[in-house]
Amino acid sequence: MNTREAKEILLLYRGTIDDSDPQFRAALDYAKTDPELGQWLREQTKCYDTVRSKLRAIEPPLGLSEKIVRRRPIPFPRDWSRIGQLAAAILISASVTALLMKWSERPHRSVAGAQEILVTGEVLDMTCYIAYHLSGPDHAECARVCIRNGGPVGIKAQDGKVYLLTAQPGESVNAQLADYAAKTVTIRGKETARDGFAQLQVEEIRKS
Amino acid sequence: MSADLEFENLVRLYYRDLYRFGLSLTGSEADAADLTQETFYIWANKGHQLQKAASVKSWLFTTLHREFLKTCRRRNRFSDESIDESTGDLPNIPANCAERADSRTLLRILGEIGEDFRAPLVLYYMEDLSYKEIADVLALPLGTVQSRIARAKIQLLRRLSETNLPLEQAK
Repeated sequence: MNTREAKEILLLYRGTIDDSDPQFRAALDYAKTDPELGQWLREQTKCYDTVRSKLRAIEPPLGLSEKIVRRRPIPFPRDWSRIGQLAAAILISASVTALLMKWSERPHRSVAGAQEILVTGEVLDMTCYIAYHLSGPDHAECARVCIRNGGPVGIKAQDGKVYLLTAQPGESVNAQLADYAAKTVTIRGKETARDGFAQLQVEEIRKS
Repeated sequence: MSADLEFENLVRLYYRDLYRFGLSLTGSEADAADLTQETFYIWANKGHQLQKAASVKSWLFTTLHREFLKTCRRRNRFSDESIDESTGDLPNIPANCAERADSRTLLRILGEIGEDFRAPLVLYYMEDLSYKEIADVLALPLGTVQSRIARAKIQLLRRLSETNLPLEQAK
């Protein structure tokens, strides 16, 4: 190493910040043997410190940090598993609703020959029940809201069979059944089935 | 620690450094404040993706620099003066040339240096970042960063010594 090479390296030397950087060690050792280079290095380091301290003396405008904190955006929590669940629930709800609408548009013959039965069981919010196996008292409030808002409603009979509850075409049973969500009632209605899916067209609701 | 408190602490810890970096890059106090604010808001939305807590400072500087480059592309308002490839002889510049300059003069001279050279030089002077960290912030190879700093530093010192500087009031 000669003086020029050492200078080229030490031009970037900043003092303590760079002491652990091996690229400077040899040049620093060389500077110890060359008094003129040593003096140049001291002056350069002093000059570096001067520029640094003047630049670091710049102060931000008053109140900047408070303004940043005050206007902090509230990030939207992107919990993808929850978003997936929500999307699945919407999809199922839309499918069941579409199915219901299609059924309701069918002529009365679909239930004309249907058998009238009595079913006693728990009133279900069908979306949560099918999608997430949610039912029972712990889920009562959610079920009540979902049913009141038009979500598909069902009943789980004591033998475990589940019926989709429907009304006469153009009508809805949601308003009457919302307050019975997760409770046990007896429904008198006409039983039909389509594609293996059991439906009960409600004629009468009895508190159990 | 709550997210709000964590954000507030982060702002208090780094807003000065980020503002100075932004001011050196833009030469404008308003733009520097905007860049600083935007950097922290990006952190609020994306900071949770950062794996290593130790990299927070580098992440913030990287983000501010990226936002600055985006602004530059939109406005193209800064002169992008390049520096000759060869540095020529190493400077024989008086070591006290910086003592007579105040912060504002330093900023003005920094602003005359091309952006490619200014950003590494500012990080070199202002922040306690290793050369590797500076290279990471600017997404440049280590050798390029060191070469740019060396050339920009010579340029800065030359301009400082050429400028007819008044003595500071305090002196």
